[in-house]
Amino acid sequence: MASTSSPNMLTKFESKSSRAKGIAFHPKRPWILVSLHSSTIQLWDYRMGTLIDRFEEHDGPVRGVDFHKTQPLFVSGGDDYKIKVWSYQTRRCLFTLNGHLDYVRTVFFHHELPWIISSSDDQTIRIWNWQNRSLICTMTGHNHYTMCAQFHPKDDLVVSASLDQSVRVWDISGLRKKHSAPTSMTFEDQMSRGNQNQADMFGNTDAVVKFVLEGHDRGVNWVAFHPTLPLIVSAGDDRLVKLWRMSETKAWEVDTCRGHFQNASGCLFHPHQDLILSCGEDKTIRVWDLNKRTSVQSFKRENDRFWVIAAHPEINLFAAGHDNGVMVFKLERERPASAFYQNNLFFITREKHVRSYDFQKNLESPTLLTLKKLGSPWVPPRSLSYNPAERAILVTSPADGGSYELINLPRDGSGSMDATDTKRGQGTSAVFVARNRFAVFNAASQQIDIKDLTNSTTKTIKPPTGTTDIYFGGTGNLLLITPTAVHLYDIQQKKATAELTVAGVKYVVWSNDGLYAALLSKHNVTIVTKTLEQVSTLHETIRIKSATWDDAGVLLYSTLNHIKYTLLNGDNGIVRTLDQTVYLVRVKARTVYCLDRNAKPKTLNIDPTEYRFKLALVKRNYEEMLQIIKNSSLVGQSIISYLQKKGYPEIALQFVQDPQTRFELAIECGNLDVAVEMAKTLDEKQATPWPGWSRLTTEALAHGNHKIVEMGYQRLKQFDKLSFLYLATGNEKNLTRMAQIAERRGDFTARFQNALYLGDVTDRIAMFKEIDLYPLAYMTAKSHGLEEECESILEATGLTEDQISLPTLGSPLLPPKPIVSTFEANWPTKATSQSFFEKALLGQVEGLSLEDEPAAASNGFGFEETGDDDGAKRNGGLAEADEDEDAAGWDMGDDIVPEVESDFVNVDSAEAGAGSSEAELWARNSPIAADHVAGGSFETAMQLLNRQLGAVNFAPLKPRFLEIYEATKTYLPASSGLPPLINYVRRTVDETDPRKVLPIIPRDIESLATNDLQKGYTAMRTNKLSDGEVIFRGILHALLVNAVSTASEVEEAKKLITTASEYTIAMSIELERRKLGTDEQVAKSPEKLKRSLELAAYFTIPKLEVPHRQIALTSGMKLAYQNKNFNSALSFANRMLANGGAAKMLDNARKIKAQCERNPNDAIEIEFDQFAEFDICAASHTPIYSGSAFEVCAFDGSKYHSKYKGTVCAVCGVCEVGKNGSGLKLVA
Amino acid sequence: MDPFSAEGELLNLHNYFHQGQFQEAVDFDTAGLSAENKLPAKVISLRAQIALGQAEEVIAEVEGEKDVELVAVGALAESAAGNESKAVKIAEKLASESADNNTVQILAGTVLQAAGKSEEALALLSQHQGNLEAVALIVQIHLEQNRTDLAIKEVAAARRWAQDSLLVNLAESWVGLRVGGEKYQQAFYVFEELAQAPATSSIQSLISQAVAEIHLGRLDEAEAALKQAIAKDPKNAEAISNSIVLNVIQGKDTTQLKSDLQSTTPSHNLLTDLQEKSTLFDKAATKYSAKVAA
Repeated sequence: MASTSSPNMLTKFESKSSRAKGIAFHPKRPWILVSLHSSTIQLWDYRMGTLIDRFEEHDGPVRGVDFHKTQPLFVSGGDDYKIKVWSYQTRRCLFTLNGHLDYVRTVFFHHELPWIISSSDDQTIRIWNWQNRSLICTMTGHNHYTMCAQFHPKDDLVVSASLDQSVRVWDISGLRKKHSAPTSMTFEDQMSRGNQNQADMFGNTDAVVKFVLEGHDRGVNWVAFHPTLPLIVSAGDDRLVKLWRMSETKAWEVDTCRGHFQNASGCLFHPHQDLILSCGEDKTIRVWDLNKRTSVQSFKRENDRFWVIAAHPEINLFAAGHDNGVMVFKLERERPASAFYQNNLFFITREKHVRSYDFQKNLESPTLLTLKKLGSPWVPPRSLSYNPAERAILVTSPADGGSYELINLPRDGSGSMDATDTKRGQGTSAVFVARNRFAVFNAASQQIDIKDLTNSTTKTIKPPTGTTDIYFGGTGNLLLITPTAVHLYDIQQKKATAELTVAGVKYVVWSNDGLYAALLSKHNVTIVTKTLEQVSTLHETIRIKSATWDDAGVLLYSTLNHIKYTLLNGDNGIVRTLDQTVYLVRVKARTVYCLDRNAKPKTLNIDPTEYRFKLALVKRNYEEMLQIIKNSSLVGQSIISYLQKKGYPEIALQFVQDPQTRFELAIECGNLDVAVEMAKTLDEKQATPWPGWSRLTTEALAHGNHKIVEMGYQRLKQFDKLSFLYLATGNEKNLTRMAQIAERRGDFTARFQNALYLGDVTDRIAMFKEIDLYPLAYMTAKSHGLEEECESILEATGLTEDQISLPTLGSPLLPPKPIVSTFEANWPTKATSQSFFEKALLGQVEGLSLEDEPAAASNGFGFEETGDDDGAKRNGGLAEADEDEDAAGWDMGDDIVPEVESDFVNVDSAEAGAGSSEAELWARNSPIAADHVAGGSFETAMQLLNRQLGAVNFAPLKPRFLEIYEATKTYLPASSGLPPLINYVRRTVDETDPRKVLPIIPRDIESLATNDLQKGYTAMRTNKLSDGEVIFRGILHALLVNAVSTASEVEEAKKLITTASEYTIAMSIELERRKLGTDEQVAKSPEKLKRSLELAAYFTIPKLEVPHRQIALTSGMKLAYQNKNFNSALSFANRMLANGGAAKMLDNARKIKAQCERNPNDAIEIEFDQFAEFDICAASHTPIYSGSAFEVCAFDGSKYHSKYKGTVCAVCGVCEVGKNGSGLKLVA
Repeated sequence: MDPFSAEGELLNLHNYFHQGQFQEAVDFDTAGLSAENKLPAKVISLRAQIALGQAEEVIAEVEGEKDVELVAVGALAESAAGNESKAVKIAEKLASESADNNTVQILAGTVLQAAGKSEEALALLSQHQGNLEAVALIVQIHLEQNRTDLAIKEVAAARRWAQDSLLVNLAESWVGLRVGGEKYQQAFYVFEELAQAPATSSIQSLISQAVAEIHLGRLDEAEAALKQAIAKDPKNAEAISNSIVLNVIQGKDTTQLKSDLQSTTPSHNLLTDLQEKSTLFDKAATKYSAKVAA
């Protein structure tokens, strides 16, 4: 077989050393032990690529090495015949096991017992107890070097390979029994044991040969058990890899894997997949299908023969030792192919099933497709590109030199179906570049084909030489990846429009707004704009695995062990640590969505506060920063130093409590007030003046804030400077005080100085005198012409004037007097604008106050709120007044719209001339008035309404007609210079048959029930009855001209009509009562009072929602009670109590009831029989007792006395009372 | 040379114009163009200017020019400036004299169609030789005449020789919005692709996207797109008129929007049509009355 190097095998680590003979993976840590021909044992971290330790105590080559599964131990065996057990913690050899008489070939720990098994050129296999450091079993039988011996991973078996061409399986259950803790053994046990394990020729029953497997016709170098199945694989110098099977009683050869053309030196079973791996001196590693025994892939090294191969027990990693070191590799990429669009992630599972995952619902779909036929069975797909417009996916596989498939996803995941209608081709990578185009890159021919969805090539592009991969580059663009650079290529213009030198880019991740892309290479993240200008770049020592963009434009990326973030400006940090490698696909708020190596969607929670904050800072979005500060505990030294470093001391200031830090920050940002405050706090704690004052004063001096400077000097007791400050600011008073202080302190220099500043000659003279400097005192006095003083000095010194020779005296020095009292206030400085932050913290920014205003809940009725009448149950408790409108037997509505099929547009004729617009079709397609209105055919619509409902007064419907008409047409700007194209909005969105399309009708029944009806209820509750009447009448009008799609909606509409009608009547009754006048006016006129009481009573009749009826009852009860109509009041109270509700309201009713029961008589006779059944005439607001004749409105069902027949209905205002029709038609 | 081929140096300019990025089209640097492309580039640039509402300036600029192309531009400008009869006169003259000129076909065709002379416009436009703009215009005229069937044929024919062109995509989307069903979604994708890519986004494509969304019943999304459009140009008649439609469907108040439209484009179809219908309503309503006056 030709050895083709596999595209899949991925080398993760390589070391250079002398020949590697033994390898062992650490079961948990990313470590690998390598024993070398040069007598050294190396411990590597293969993830970081660093040598952790070297162990050099063996003499000569070390051939076998193994980690203990749980203890910090490892064992090694070498050509010095010795087995050594080491601790990698103390980095010492703990002890040596001596016994073998020749080279030790392999050593392994037992998976649970404290045993070590070794094989040696002395033809024996030995089992050692490393706890008591003793040899417990020597297994003899091979008659040449034993090259390998291993414990079975579960059973008490050993398998060994020898140059005697045999493989042997040994039963060591006897040894286990002997060495396990003594348990009571029944006689039978002993018997069976005796029978089972026939003693070998030396009478040894601890380990007996179970099977001898012969088949290799040269020496066997390696043998291994399958982790779960009763299978054995061996590799020999006959260049063959043989697979053996065993049962309880026998073992036999299953098949041979042929391919190595030199000695096969090592072999093993894949821990998780049905694969065999082998290596040999022909410098290849080969992978075989366990079930078919065919070669799956092979990997060839140029110069190095392979000597040993090992598998990681948990993860998909292997290691092979060769002449010049070791390599750690994976058989296949573990990155699941995936793509996301809006809220859906599409990915391919390990089983090659295409699935989707909904981020919003956190729901994984069933399998949408299976891709079994894609590539070869052992090669997972490499990439997935999703096209939302066509709901198609483009999958690439590296198998067979690279291939792609274009598949349409089924609309609904109806189970695992094989992809039908697949389009295939050859290519290394393939991505969608537009709605109906994709690009296929072929690395071998260095060519990019742009293809349409039928898989035919529309364009061919020659990429820059050395291109290795292509990625989507924004609409109509491609990113071409070469080993050293990335090119942005415009497909339409057929030229590269930009180039950026970035080495080794492997993946490209676009931001959600398509403005930025992250280029990921092994250790670098480079952020570029969509025009390929570099924004920032960062380096990671740990390998970068994946990245995804936050909606706000923060890139989150994952390394092998961390999720990190980077802002566009390159600021980065750690978000969280990872315990296993994941591939990020999406981040939303606090959740990161990712795929793990088993292609399972996972969510991880993160705390985005840090990067959100930094982002807000960069964008100067102070509101958000403030929110973050207030809502989270983001006050760490790191954020403060970050802010300080980034030049935002004023913001950092807001975070800090520690006075020292606050002081430093305040100085830095020049916030003197805070600095002073902090300085004072700090100063209090100090015995001596606090040195920080000098910094403050320096800063304050620079600001010209001399008040603070003054305070600083005072605190520091820097009198000289203070005096000079007073001089400079012209503060004579304080200067005088300074002089006094100097005098008190006895500091003559200071006193002199102050006196000079003050121009105070007498003091100067007095001072000179005090310190016996009479000549100077005299001079001073003389020069200032103070002759008297001169005299007294002369007197005091006992000298006369002639005895003194005086120099010539100039004019006396007098300091100028201040003209302006500068000291009174600080020098005017430009008002520092308050930072947004400070303002916000002071609560000056509107809308940022975190306390909510108490919701103003007022109840216009003036009595107790009637419970939880939020009207959630919009149809509950409504009257079941579904009247059958067709009772009269009239049925003439439908006939007026003859469905004339022949009248249809001659769609197929190609002659010129205008056709019918869709609006015209609507009227033909539907018998519903609303659809005629939408089509602009108002006449026919009115005709229909007149026939159906007896509508006669259309004026109130005008807004509704125009509203419907308006909603049906959109204006699409098309060719420049022409008016927009008019299109017709349909409610049948999926319909394309012109005979079935129907227009959209705004304010459908659902919107009426959820919006308008609730508004009406609110109006009722808040006592805005005139508004309410308008709203309910509006509902009636909207329902009058409307369309629904199902019969159940018709029922709903009818209920809604009834509700609206009842409320309209109720409200108009109450409104009429209020129109009678104020309470006083009504009380004066007995007639009005009677009518008022009657109307209040009728108000309780319409079938309102219970809470609203309670309002009506309460109001009626109060009115009746006030007017001593105790009987009526009593009946209202009783009805209220029957309805139930809020306790307070009921209490009130109970009280009234108790009061009224004492005297159940009405003072004013009213026409209201509480015991009779009656309806209210909607026009006159008087009772219609059952039995008497009445007329109804065909639309809303309101009732009228017979005399109102022929008038316009008072409720809907449209239909003629008593005119029957075919009934309201809402559904086509 | 086919101006729509990928190699054409006018490609970007054409795209700007047809994507509704008129300012970009006006600002397009024509200095580096080859001599043969100078005139077409100028024509496009002038048309963009007209689209931006600077018809008067364009009239002044082409005054006295002899090139038929520029004369045609003049006709378009007159038409845009409201001098319909003058525009039609020039257009008809051009149509009879230089009907084989691409620019004349398109511009004169536009003028004629704008004046309601659809048949004449179609006759002129049908003489085109593989000109996609003419195809787009023909499609639009068919749609305006409610001949969706002919429009579909026209687009299908164009698809065969100009698969991936922007104009074909646009024309197909216009038709799609008429046909409905799945075509709504496809049209939406075309508009969205244009509207959401920052390089190609324009008010026109945003509005188109919103219109598609209205038809798809995705009202919230449509609202967002229209808000974006209005934010870019608060006076855009189509943005306002479609907002009115959307608000009506959503059951919201439209008084403000209507007065906006009234002040910017009093002659807008929506307003005139509504006025007409209002009259119609009043007339029709008089036929009915109650038997007994209340």
